[in-house]
Formats: sequence, C-alpha cells, structure tokens
Amino acid sequence: MKKSITLLLALVMIFSLAACGQQAAAPAPAEEPAPAEEPVSEGDALIVDTCILKEADDAMINNYSLLAVNPEAPFTDADGKAVADVAINTVGAAALINWLLSEEGQSLAAGYGFDDYGEYLFYLKDGRPVSSAEIPAATEETKLIRLSTTTSVNDSGLLGYLLPKFEETYGYEVDVYSAGTGKSIANAKMGNADLILVHSKKQEEAFIADGFSYTIEGMESERLNWMYNYFVLCGPSADPAGVKDAADVKAAFRAIADGKYAFISRGDGSGTHTKELSLWPEELGITAEAESFEDYTDWYVSANAGMGACLVMAEEMGAYILTDKATFLTFVANDGKIA
Amino acid sequence: MGSSVQKAIELIFSADPELLNILSTTARVSLTSSILALLLGVPLGILYGAGRFPGRKTLLILNRTLMGMPPVVCGLLFYMLFSGVGPFRHLKLLFTVKLMILAQVVLITPIVVGTMETFVADTAPELRETAKGLGFGRGKRFRLLVNECVYPIFSAYLLAFARAIAEVGAVAMVGGAIAWKTNVMTTAIMMYTNRGSFTLGIALGLILLTLSLIVNVALSLMQGRLSR
Repeated sequence: MKKSITLLLALVMIFSLAACGQQAAAPAPAEEPAPAEEPVSEGDALIVDTCILKEADDAMINNYSLLAVNPEAPFTDADGKAVADVAINTVGAAALINWLLSEEGQSLAAGYGFDDYGEYLFYLKDGRPVSSAEIPAATEETKLIRLSTTTSVNDSGLLGYLLPKFEETYGYEVDVYSAGTGKSIANAKMGNADLILVHSKKQEEAFIADGFSYTIEGMESERLNWMYNYFVLCGPSADPAGVKDAADVKAAFRAIADGKYAFISRGDGSGTHTKELSLWPEELGITAEAESFEDYTDWYVSANAGMGACLVMAEEMGAYILTDKATFLTFVANDGKIA
Repeated sequence: MGSSVQKAIELIFSADPELLNILSTTARVSLTSSILALLLGVPLGILYGAGRFPGRKTLLILNRTLMGMPPVVCGLLFYMLFSGVGPFRHLKLLFTVKLMILAQVVLITPIVVGTMETFVADTAPELRETAKGLGFGRGKRFRLLVNECVYPIFSAYLLAFARAIAEVGAVAMVGGAIAWKTNVMTTAIMMYTNRGSFTLGIALGLILLTLSLIVNVALSLMQGRLSR
C-alpha cells in the first residue's frame, strides 16, 4: 500500500511539473519559431532536390486580404434557420485590422523573414489600405479576438512574429485558427471568427457577396488586400518538362500536362489549390470536383493534404508542385527530411 | 528514426516553452476527461452488469454502438452545437479546453461502461450467491462487488486514458489546435506533419508514448497491489 502511494505521488509530481512548465510559459510573449524552421545554410539546399523553377510571374501573385466578419451577417444554423444573435467581437477585429494596416504593423510584416530565410517573404501592395486610426486598449468584453486564417500565413511564422507585439501593447489575446482558406472561411460563416486573413480572391468575393463581411470605419472596402507574395512552381531539379524555359507559368503548366509529368495538387480547397486550378489549360477542365480529373490520375495527384506534406510527396515522387514561397523555404530549411 | 529519437531528447531537455505548454494541456485534457469518464462509467457499468431492469439490453446495445463512435464525428457534433451559430453559442465554449474535455468524456465513457459491464456481468451472479449465503443486505452486496472490481476499474481507466491521450479527431475539431491554448500532442503532431516536419512529429510522438508508458507502469503496479 505504501509503495502504491509513493507511486501515485510520483505520478502527481510528473504532471505538476508539466503544469509548472505551462505557468512559466504563459507570460512568455514571443512565440519561438518551431525548431524545424532553422535558417537556410548553403549546404542544406543540396539535400532537397525539389527546387523553384518558375517564380515572380504576374499570374503567380498571391494576394493576402483581411476581412472583418459582419455581426449582422445572415448567419444560419446547421438546419439553415437564421440565427440573429451571433457574438462577434467587432471592436477587437477592427483594432487588429487597424494595427496590421498601421505604419508599425506594415513595416513589421514587410521586414519579416529576412533574418531566417535570407529573403523577405511578404511584400506590401501598392495602393494598399493604410490606417492611422487610434487603437483602443482591450476591455474585458473585447479582449479575445478570434482570427481564422490560412495555414501558409501561420506556418510561415508571420503571425507568431507579429501578434505578440500587438497583444503586448494593447492587451488583446488573439486566438489563431489555421486551416485551408476554404475551411477557414467556413469556420467564420459558422460564427467562430471575428476576422479572417485569407488568400483566395474568388472565395473572398463570395464571402462579401453573401453579406458576411462589412467595411470597417475609415476603410473603403470590405476586402483589405495589403500584402502579397508569390506562388512558385517547383519540381525536380532535372526539370524533365522543361518548365524553366516555358514562356510563362501557364505555358509551364501546359508542358507538364502535355508530357503527363507527375503533379501534386493540394486538392483541399485551400487558396493554393484554387490558384493551381486557374493555371491549367482550360480544355483540360480540371476543377475541384473529383470527376474532372478522373482521366488524368496517371499524372495528376490530388493529395488532400497540407502544403508541407504535399512538398514531401513531391520530393519523394520527383513531381511538380505549386506552393507558396514561404512554406517552400521552410521546407528546404528543414532539409525535406523524413524520419 | 535515429534522428527523431535524438530530436525528442533534445526537445525534452531544451524545455521549449511551447512544448511544455502542449504537454501540460495534453495532461490536463486527458487526465481530466479520463477521470470524469471513470466516475460516470463505473457506476453505470456496474448497474448494467449487475442490475436487472427492463430496457437493459437496449441500453447495452446503445452503449456498444457508442463505443465505436469515430472521434471526428463526436468532435463535429460538438463543433456544431457550440459554434457561433449553434444552440449552445452563449456558453462560448468552442475552442476551449473545457469543451475538449467534455467531448472526450462523451467519447470515452461508453468504453469504461462497456469494460465494467463485461466484468460485472461475469462475476455478479456468483457473487450474489455468496452474498446471499452470507446473509448480506443490498448495501453490503454492492460494496462487496465494488471491492471485487478494483482490478477491472484500473483496466478500464487505462483504456480510457489511452483513448483520451491518443485521440486526435475530436480535440482537433472542438479545440482548433490554437497555439498556447488548445494545442495538444496529437494535434501538434498533425500540424507538424502537415508542414512536412516529419522528424519533429515523430519526436513528439515518442514523447507522447513515453508519457503514456510512465502512466501505464505506475497504474499497473498500483493495480497489482490494490487488487490483491
């Protein structure tokens, strides 16, 4: 009996140790980058064969937008019945948007990535919305801000870099829900987000048309497109399809399809997936529907997975893939290694 | 694999604050939910196993069906119920640890009930005979039964704990894997896998298994002693 009590005590100690760890961690504001995201050193790049073959093409621009969720939006429950009193933290959402669009927020975002990856990951758009609105400090009611966003923004570490600075200065707490753009928007439509940060113009416009967003004070539009970077077309360094020499990215996609070279599609309704669908030759008729690529399964792989997992797959298969640059650089920094 | 083991050890000794936060959230969720499930499930299991009442068979079949409920379906159900547009929206519980625990309790309790019921149904008739022979009353008979059940209670708890700590579908749906708040070991593994950081995912998996091993060793030793 005595021994079992000792054992029980030992168990309690182990978990209280873990709990202490949490308390120590809670006030730590700066989220440390995941250990995997180590800086790229010259030698590492050789391990990953997949490399960037086509980039900085106008068709490959990846626009990121902020949209505040409208508290008066036509929310419906699972049965399609209208729900009127959905709690949306409009004050908090406006505060975060105004901060991200302020001089401070914008210059931080534009400078992100250089230290870790040797290049900037996000660029500020010309003619972007700029805010000089005063940001109110958080109150008990407005403290919690729910941000629904896409994996590429979160996985690049941008939010982990920006948000602690905002939270510290104004006392807000931002919960980041990260999923593909499609799921991220669906989450907001269920009333579980105060604002969204996504990268699919088509889906954003539908979100606005359905009445789910509104123009916050001092802004000109619901869709606040302030930041962009580039999608890049990657593939095996040998480049059997000759993508490198293609006139533009659409020609490159055509070359892949013509030669039936393996291509990994995200296939998950994400912003990257939406972009990829728009780049195939129209006569192929590839859409998000499974039937549309039924005849191409010998080379077109619909993975239905996250960007990183798809990159690993492309590396393994020597396949072509469309990816956002930020995730690709993280992947290379991680040596693309599988344990 | 070697690099993963190395990474796991490095991670533990680096005392990375995010990892510690994930570990403590995992411990909080899986311990609380498995203990709650035990408290609910043991009496119910004994009742189903030893009791004789109309509708018992139906309840048993229902329970056995619930034992096979896919975690992601349970998570989806709770997500819908507690969503901003769901019927319980005013409680504001979505993406909190509390709701993760609740969802896991619903998921795990049937397993505890099922395990207990199997044992009790097997021993109860014999025990009843003995108790009758000794002239025990209802209360004393129940206490004798509970006394006999110490061993299976531990087994049921270990099952419940294993399911709780290993489960990803429900906690990912209702918790949202929000960093510093609702991210647990399994959702973190999913996240790293999606990012292509497989080594880190396996490293976390090894830590999770080690934790599970410690709990199992401790409880198994206790089980051996207490039920003797």
